[in-house]
Formats: sequence, structure tokens, C-alpha cells
Amino acid sequence: MNRLNQLFVSKKDNLLSIYYTAGYPALNTTVDIAEALEKAGVDFLEVGFPYSDPVADGPTIQHSSEQALENGMTLNVLFEELAELRKRVTIPILLMGYFNPIVQYGIEKFCKKAAELGVDGIIVPDLPMYEYEALYSAHFINNNLSNIFLVTPQTSEARIRKIDALSNSFIYLLSSSSITGGSLQLTNNIEDYYKRVKAMELKNPTIIGFGISDRATFTKACEYANGAIVGSKFVKLLGEEDYMGKIPGFVESIRS
Amino acid sequence: MKIKVCGLKQPENIAAVAALGANYLGFICYGRSPRYIGALPVEVLAAIPASIHKTGVFVNETAQNINLLIDKYGFDTVQLHGDESPEFSNAFRNKVTVIKAFGVDNEFDFGQLENYANNVDYFMFDTKTSGYGGSGKTFNWDILNNYRLNVPFFLSGGISLDNLDEVKKISHPQFYAVDLNSRFETEPGIKNTDKLEQAFDIIKNKTLQMKYGVNEHGYYGDFGGAYIPEMLYPNVEELRQQYINIINDADFKAEFDDLMKNYVGRPSPLYHAKRYSEKYGANIFFKREDLNHTGSHKINNAIGQILLAKRLGKKRIIAETGAGQHGVATATVCALMGIECVVYMGEIDMARQAPNVSRMKMLGATVMPASSGSKTLKDATNEALRDWIANPVDTHYIIGSVVGPYPYPDMVARFQSIISKETKKQLVEHTGKELPEYVLACVGGGSNAMGMFYHFLDDEQVKLVAVEAAGKGVDSGHSAATTFLGQEGVLHGSRTILMQTPDGQVIEPYSISAGLDYPGIGPQHAHLYKINRAQYVSVTDDEAMQAGLLCSQMEGIIPAIESSHALAQLEKMKFNPSDNVVICLSGRGDKDLDTFIKYFGY
Ligand SMILES: Cc1ncc(COP(=O)(O)O)c(C=O)c1O
Repeated sequence: MNRLNQLFVSKKDNLLSIYYTAGYPALNTTVDIAEALEKAGVDFLEVGFPYSDPVADGPTIQHSSEQALENGMTLNVLFEELAELRKRVTIPILLMGYFNPIVQYGIEKFCKKAAELGVDGIIVPDLPMYEYEALYSAHFINNNLSNIFLVTPQTSEARIRKIDALSNSFIYLLSSSSITGGSLQLTNNIEDYYKRVKAMELKNPTIIGFGISDRATFTKACEYANGAIVGSKFVKLLGEEDYMGKIPGFVESIRS
Repeated sequence: MKIKVCGLKQPENIAAVAALGANYLGFICYGRSPRYIGALPVEVLAAIPASIHKTGVFVNETAQNINLLIDKYGFDTVQLHGDESPEFSNAFRNKVTVIKAFGVDNEFDFGQLENYANNVDYFMFDTKTSGYGGSGKTFNWDILNNYRLNVPFFLSGGISLDNLDEVKKISHPQFYAVDLNSRFETEPGIKNTDKLEQAFDIIKNKTLQMKYGVNEHGYYGDFGGAYIPEMLYPNVEELRQQYINIINDADFKAEFDDLMKNYVGRPSPLYHAKRYSEKYGANIFFKREDLNHTGSHKINNAIGQILLAKRLGKKRIIAETGAGQHGVATATVCALMGIECVVYMGEIDMARQAPNVSRMKMLGATVMPASSGSKTLKDATNEALRDWIANPVDTHYIIGSVVGPYPYPDMVARFQSIISKETKKQLVEHTGKELPEYVLACVGGGSNAMGMFYHFLDDEQVKLVAVEAAGKGVDSGHSAATTFLGQEGVLHGSRTILMQTPDGQVIEPYSISAGLDYPGIGPQHAHLYKINRAQYVSVTDDEAMQAGLLCSQMEGIIPAIESSHALAQLEKMKFNPSDNVVICLSGRGDKDLDTFIKYFGY
């Protein structure tokens, strides 16, 4: 059991996760931000590593990625910054990013290094189920890293079942078919989708992401899932003056 | 899989079938058959290209008569279709290839073949009848599982367009060839070339699939696949499930063929460039894709995909474009079909290809500037993918090259394969044979090259040359020579070769030609490169510009700068005088006049 599994055993509702891009707004902030978020009460974190062509992301995260790359962020640099992670942070951490930088780093080497530094799971939006299962899953499993799959309102029930079988920590429910940075829409369709997934009684917990930006959307998402993820809204905060000082207030504004 | 067409007897029909490019043609020398050749003049067979095996078909004929006819008609293969013994069969093998045919039914005893195994070259399994073949009926092909010898076989008896899919499912290791006969006729002995052509397409796709083509998961060796976020899965999966059925549908084919002929202006000529031939010391042919409507090969794919989108019920089209050629082609077919069209184009490209932006707008398309990242083709592709994520149900994305997640690379290659299909036929008219020594094409994403290579892939003796853009030189830091500068990775949904930093960030390429200015290549190219089936070379801006000028002044054709890259490669090659060389002239240079003017100061 890794930290993620332990978290989901001990806590089943209103889980809050925050996404941010490593290297934004500056290098050497990754662990500081993680520590501040843990202190503010966040349950787990997603640390993005930047990519030049982030097709699943909207303008906010695109911009943070570009800035991070300009600052010199790479996987090597990120792993250096994470060397002191587990001395200062205890909550579960996922790394999130696109597949090509991982391929260049070496998939096996990447999984090993991440596990060594105390990373608990990986989210790679452009690594779909077939390629993961047939070609790469052994490296993840051997290093006790959870791979998180995404599910959208268009994902069929059969495919969700398969994803549930392949997952071992949680499933990431997208609030709509969209890129990051939109706003949560609660049309009938979407409610039906959440209800449909909830009624499937999956073995893995579900966490809703994309478009969660405030207390209202967070609370709504938690009606249907075990928790929710805030991304673009927090990345915007990191672009402001004195963002470190504002972190407790930000978390408070979403879940007190 | 090889193809034999059997039972020909009429001179014009024989010539027409030979032009389709079968591997074996069969001539029945058995007086009681309705397909008996009778007194067919020897010249008719002499005119058949040497690459096609001429097969004499005999039923319990005397050795003396068989030998006589072998000499008279120049048969290089005999098919013994009666009760000939192993020793009798073996006697011809010092002169010709021997096929021994057997009628098969559910009781057939494959044990009786053992005595023949060392005495013939091939078996043929035909449907058992009271006479000697020709029933037009199939036998139960499952029975082939009982055949365990290692002599390859031909499958015969009742094969038709309706059961070719079943034939393709036969995965017996010794299955060598199909024998097509009565179900492809207008009357006994007269073949229907349209039907045969359809069958050849279906069968040859199967061959491609086995060797250089895509597997069911979308991979070409190590490359390909569908590395897409889950948000795109339903769109891509819908395409994957439907594309083969739709493009093989008779109705689709009829509409595609009609538009190719009457709207695009196909077949595009294969022009024998005489002054070029003299200069380079070989027979140089230009495949004139520049003469297509809208001025390049891009229209072939755009027509194919718009017809597909219509059948999928899509109401809106998106596309990416670099130089604007694919954007113009897409805007054109959307106008033709009355479908909404949105084209994404990098802000920088919009500025340097302004006339094409105007053309798209005039055709009724909305041109959306891609202002993220490096503001060029790769970013336009990202924006189109983001649009597709947000519009999963009603929108089809027409990708402009053999790139993207499976099934795009295969689908686009199939639509572009019309280039090499026509070329093979046209080469027979020009040279008497369908295979050239060399085929050259430029590579951006690789669609004109894939279309130009497609039907030559399995003809291993044909040398394929793919020309990338070296820009200011491969070592200059301003280049788009992907195979030279790139490493394996994942770009725009497929595992391929791309230009990237050691950290896996995509590098913005450079070429004077906007159409070659792409950091990756299609996954099938990556595969052909890795296994050395095609040679990948590069040509600089300067070399390409000089070649464009030379072609203008020696042949009266102003080529696109993309195509000029392929032409420039001629300077670096050595030919034998008898070599036939085909170059894909992928587009015309009108769009590049500004660049030519600036470069040469005209
Ligand atoms: C005339 C012409 N040739 C070649 C290309 C390169 O594309 P591909 O490699 O897909 O054929 C382009 C692309 O815009 C083009 O316009």
C-alpha cells in the first residue's frame, strides 16, 4: 500500500487535491509550495512537469508550462528539487505530465527515480489504456506507482470497468470533455454521468477534476465523488505577488 | 499474397488484365474448357511484361504436347490440373515452375500429397468437381488446416469479391497465392477488369498489412499507436471502428472515384521529362500532383476525409495547416459539401502565407490563429486537437498528413495511395513495366511520399528515397531533417521520430518551405527508416531553390518549394541509363512565388 491507498482508507469524503506546475513561477519552489499546501490542509498533490505541447491544457496551464520551461525546468531538475520532498512533506504526491519527456528520460528509469523520491503515482493524459497495459505497465507496478486513468462523460461503461480493474488508487473523473481551465458545468447530462458512475460502485475511489475552482464547484463535485482537484485556479494564484502568503486563504476559500 | 488470374483467351482483354499487374496469368490449353485458348497468336503472350509469370494450364495432356506449347508460348510455369503423377510432374521442372492442382472436398486426404512434395513447386487447391475445376464454387476452407507439408499453395475455386474478406482471414503459413477466374468475368474467358482491380486492391492491402502496413493496434513495428488523452478516445475510436468499412464501401468508392476524376482532375499525368532525363542520364518521370485542383496532393486526402465525415454524420470540420495548402484543400471540400470549416494556423505562418489565408477565407472557412507555443504548424495541430476535445460529437478533424493517432496515418496513406496506384499503370504505358528503379518524394509529415511509395512497398527491388528539408544545413540549428536530427518519442498522438531536446521538449524546425517545416514524420516513415526499406536524405534551402529554378527553366514547370527538395536530390544520385525514376511533384509553385522572387531577385 502506498500513501495514496492509505489516504483513501482513512478518508472517504471531501478530499481536496491541488495541481501546480513545477518550475512556475520560479525554480526551487516545488517543495516549498507542497509544504505550504500540506500545512493548509490539502489531502494530496499533483505536481505537473512541463511540456512544450500540452494538448489537454487550456491557456493558464499552457502559460505556466511555457514559463517553467523558460526557467529551465526539466525532469532532471525536478528530481533534484524533490530530493528533500519526503523530509518536509508527508501527504501523497502524484507527478502529472505528458508522455514524451518520460520516454526521453527512460520509462523504467523514470518510474524508479520517482518511487525512490517518494512519489506515489503518475498521471499521464496521453498514455491511454491499451498502450499502458500492453507496453509499459510493468515499470509502474514494479515500482509501486499508481497510474491514474481519466474518465470522461463519453467513456463507455465497459471501458470504465476495465479502467477500474487496471487502477489501484483512484480514478480521475473529468467534469466534461474539455481541456483544463474551463468552468464546471452542471447540465443534466453531466449530473447523469456522475450518477451513472456512482451507481457502478467501482472498487476505486473517484476524484473529479477540470473546472473545480471554488467552494461551490468543490462541494458539488464532492456530492458525487470522494473528492475533487483544483488546478488552473491555483496556478493563477501562483502568478500573483506573495503567492506563498496567500496559500492558506486560498485553500480555506475552497474547503474549510 | 500473390495473385493469379486464370482463363484468359482474348487479346485485348489479356493486355488489359496484364496492365493491372497480376503475378501469374493462366492460359488454358485444354480443349474441353470454355476458356480454351485455341489458336491464340503467340505475339499476344510475348507482349506481356516479363514480371508476370505466364502459366500454361493442362489436363492429362501428353508430355510431348506440353513441351511443344511451353516452347511456342514461352510459358515459364505449368499448372497440371488432371491426374498427372509425381514423376510426370517433376519432368518439367528443369524448364519451368510446376503447380500441381487437386480438387478438394470435405473428404480430401492430404496424405496423398506426400509423394508430390519433392516433385512440384506449388500445389493448387481447387474445389472438387466431376470435371476438372471451373465450377465457380468454393470448398470449405477450414479443411486447409489439415494441410501440413511445406510446399506453398495457390487457393482456387469460386473466389469472388464477396468472399475475399474470408480469403484474407486464412492465415495458413503456406498460403501463397489466390487464383481468380470465373467470378471475375463478363463471359467465360473474358475478365472484368474493374472487378479484378477491386480485388487486387483488397488483396494487396492485405500484403501491405503483413509486411509494412499497420497492425490492429495501429503500430508499424515500434511506431504508431494512439497516444491520446481519454477526451479524444471516443472520436478516434469511432474512426478506428468505421474507416475501413466506410472506405471499402461501394457507394463511398463510387463517390470518391467520381470526385477524383471530375473535380480533382485525376489521373494526374505521369510526365516523361525529356530534358531532365538527358541531364541526369536516366528516364525521369514527374508524377504531376501539381496539376490537381488546388495545386497539390493534399486534395486527395481532403476529399477522402470529407466523404468519411459525411458518412459519420459530422456537421463541422476542423483542420490544421502550415503552408496553407492543406487548409485550402480542406476549405475547398467543405465548400463543396456545404459543411462548416475551421482551420487553425500558426500566427507566424498566417503572416508568411498570407495569400493562402485569403483563399481559405474566400472559400468560406474561418481561419483561427494559433498563438500558443511557437505559433507554427505544431501549435496549430495542438489547437485543432484542443478544439476536437471540446467538440467530441459533431466535429471531424481532417489531419493533413500521415501523422496523428491511429487510424489517421493509415487512413491518409490509403487516400494518398492513388498516386502510386496510377503511377504503376502509367509506367506500364510508358516503359512496358510497372516497376521503376527509383521513387523519390519530399517528406514533411510524409503524405505525398507515403502515397507515392504505397503500392511499391512490397516490390523490394524498387528503391524508395524520401527527401527531408535540411534548411540551412543539418548542423546549422535551422533544419527540419527529422530522421537525421530526431529521436524516438511521441508527438501528436503517435510514437515516431521527432526533433526534441534531451529533456523531451519538441524543437521548432526550420525550412524555407513551410510545408516541410514539421518536427516529426508519420510513424510509417519512422518504421521504413528504421528497417531501411526507404532511404531518408536531406536537401538544403539553397539546393531546393536552385532545383526549383532549374525545373522551371528546363521543363517549364514551376514546382512548389516542397517538391523542389525531391528534385534537388537528383543532383546527388548516380543512375544507369536504363533506370526509370519517378519523382512526386507534390505541388505547384504559385504559392511560393514571393519566396522565389525574394530569393532570386526576379
Ligand atoms: C506541395 C506540398 N508538398 C509536400 C508537402 C508536405 O507534406 P507531406 O509530407 O504530408 O506530403 C506539402 C505540405 O503542405 C505541400 O504543400
